[in-house]
Amino acid sequence: MKKGMIVSLPNSDLVTQYISYYSSFVEKEAENKNIPIKKLSGEDANMEEFNKVVSKLNYSFIFINGHGSENEIFGQREPLLKIGINHKLMKDRVVYARSCNSALVLGKACVEDSNGCYIGYNLPFQFYNDGNWSGNPEKDPLAGLFIEPSNLIPISLIKGNSAEFADKNSKQMMLKRINKTLQENSEGAFQISLAMWNNYEFLILNPQKLIENKWFFLLLILLEF
Amino acid sequence: MTEENKPINEDLMKLVIMRVEAAPSNWKLSIGSSGSLSKKEIIDHIKKGDEIGSQIVNSHLAFLKAVASGEFTKAISSV
Repeated sequence: MKKGMIVSLPNSDLVTQYISYYSSFVEKEAENKNIPIKKLSGEDANMEEFNKVVSKLNYSFIFINGHGSENEIFGQREPLLKIGINHKLMKDRVVYARSCNSALVLGKACVEDSNGCYIGYNLPFQFYNDGNWSGNPEKDPLAGLFIEPSNLIPISLIKGNSAEFADKNSKQMMLKRINKTLQENSEGAFQISLAMWNNYEFLILNPQKLIENKWFFLLLILLEF
Repeated sequence: MTEENKPINEDLMKLVIMRVEAAPSNWKLSIGSSGSLSKKEIIDHIKKGDEIGSQIVNSHLAFLKAVASGEFTKAISSV
């Protein structure tokens, strides 16, 4: 396993455009840490390409953006990661899936007999965006409120923290934002709290394996990841 | 019958719709693969009781339960 991150960046609709745009902040953190990155953007976010780069580069961290369900996560047009097809490629890697519903079935399968870890959601990932800026994520003043806390998961991992620390870090940011919104009685405070609370319920599968396998974990830290 | 297939309780539906209507009019909700939904589209899904409508109602229900149980307050007062 080598130090490095593979990130899928589909942009087939507004949702994937937003989450892929926000992934650029994660990429910057990885660049600052000199972590090699392989991006699968747009049409390159497909299973064939994904399988190829995962096998060839053998990077330790996989960051997947895309629409998901219990059994699969989509790339640009088709499933990128699917149970029973290519989920075994995730063995011994750290996977963060910013997609809906993938944790309990697909995530669980990915960490079976593995020293890796899967962080994902068991509910549909939610966020609001400002309709006046739809399709313009860099100028949208609202969407970042919801998506930025999820960025803290891969960013914390890139900085060499454990999956559990990444979980805590991200959740604390959500809670602080909910708190601030409620204290200031901001417009849409209820909707913000509700959507963020929904995203609060992400799952980490197999974090103890990373701790049990101390040499692997130590190696990742020594490699700055 | 799964949670998602259950018909949505009418009182709960009214409550959720009332909450959805209170959102700022320019806000759009992205949930699942449904795209970006306006208030009217959210309400249509809820009234139809389709998968997206059920997901929205379920997330409201989960949030209200967390508020009622004190779980939400405990969490936000911890930071």
